[in-house]
Amino acid sequence: MTTSDASTSEVAPDKPRRQYDLDETGFNEVPKKWRKFYRHWGGPGDKLGRNEVVCPVCKIVIRSARELRPGDKVYCMPCMSRMIVVEGPDDHFIAEVIF
Amino acid sequence: MADFLSQYSIQRWIEMCPQGYLENTVYGRGPDEHEPEAILDDTEQRDAAISSTVQLVVGERCALAASSGLINAAPDYPSKRFLATQTLDEARHVEVFTQRLFDLGVKKDDLEDTVQEHANPNLVKFAEVLLEKVGNGDFLAGVVGQNIVLEGMAFTVFELLETANKELNPKFAHTLSGTIADERRHVGFGENRIGSLVREHPEKKPEIEQMQQEMTYYMLATFADAFSGPQVQPAEPPTGEADFHGTNLATATPEEMEAVLSNTVLGEFKTRLDRIGLEYQSPPVPA
Repeated sequence: MTTSDASTSEVAPDKPRRQYDLDETGFNEVPKKWRKFYRHWGGPGDKLGRNEVVCPVCKIVIRSARELRPGDKVYCMPCMSRMIVVEGPDDHFIAEVIF
Repeated sequence: MADFLSQYSIQRWIEMCPQGYLENTVYGRGPDEHEPEAILDDTEQRDAAISSTVQLVVGERCALAASSGLINAAPDYPSKRFLATQTLDEARHVEVFTQRLFDLGVKKDDLEDTVQEHANPNLVKFAEVLLEKVGNGDFLAGVVGQNIVLEGMAFTVFELLETANKELNPKFAHTLSGTIADERRHVGFGENRIGSLVREHPEKKPEIEQMQQEMTYYMLATFADAFSGPQVQPAEPPTGEADFHGTNLATATPEEMEAVLSNTVLGEFKTRLDRIGLEYQSPPVPA
């Protein structure tokens, strides 16, 4: 992970990924330069973007500056877990923890 | 594994916690925030707040004893270092919830008597099951009991309390939001550290699952006690929705509150235990 994103990818690119401008949402549980990559989760009714995935360990939404794809790896700084993105139901991604 | 553990530095903890979300707080809340007069002026509400806060103090004292006890049992220095930060987190939680008791009018000389009077016996037994493992130096069982079971329960209870208090008591809600942020690290450590250790020591599974079963029994009994009997309603009900996993806490009955809390915690237990290779065990008899 670099300071420009919260995700890394080992997936071969097939088509260009949509880019997202991330703003801070008031999440203050990580050092300032990382805050825009996370937001509080609003529960099951919270509609996730294609650049977002909920950390299954600590229930924080991890946000990427680019569209996520299955196989991408994401890092949750609030609970320090690493996970891999998989396609979930209802057109949103879910994350599986990597031990 | 070494790479994962290297994240748990004291420096990172300082940047995230004291220099982050706790900056400019006093006992975990805003410097000018106070308990609402509606609670302080109403004896029934004040006593109910004292009683529920005592349970938080009891739980956090257990977490403090467990996390500090596990430092010497930890097999590597990164884990010891993380548990040192967790020990300070838990000590802070004990302090902020104890301070809330003082804010609610408990006199310092009466603190221990107040804790003794209100502590739920089932919660005390829940703590004893965990602390026996810690006392025996059992790192694997101790971390599962502390960072998966106890912290998993605390995480959900704090979220419920924060949701319920956002409108009625912002001061308490702010105190809770800082403790929830701490709990994220603790459950993260529990899953990430123990996930690999359970795979290395499958022979430990039955003993750990039995501990989880016992702790779950006493946890559910504590919830049942908390929501039984007459409930104290706020003088002014909240005007907005306080949604917690599909239940509006502003209008929910005690039975509905107990159900959503128990179901949420048990659901989380099952998921977390499954992720680290353990199978959730239902309590032996309905609590």
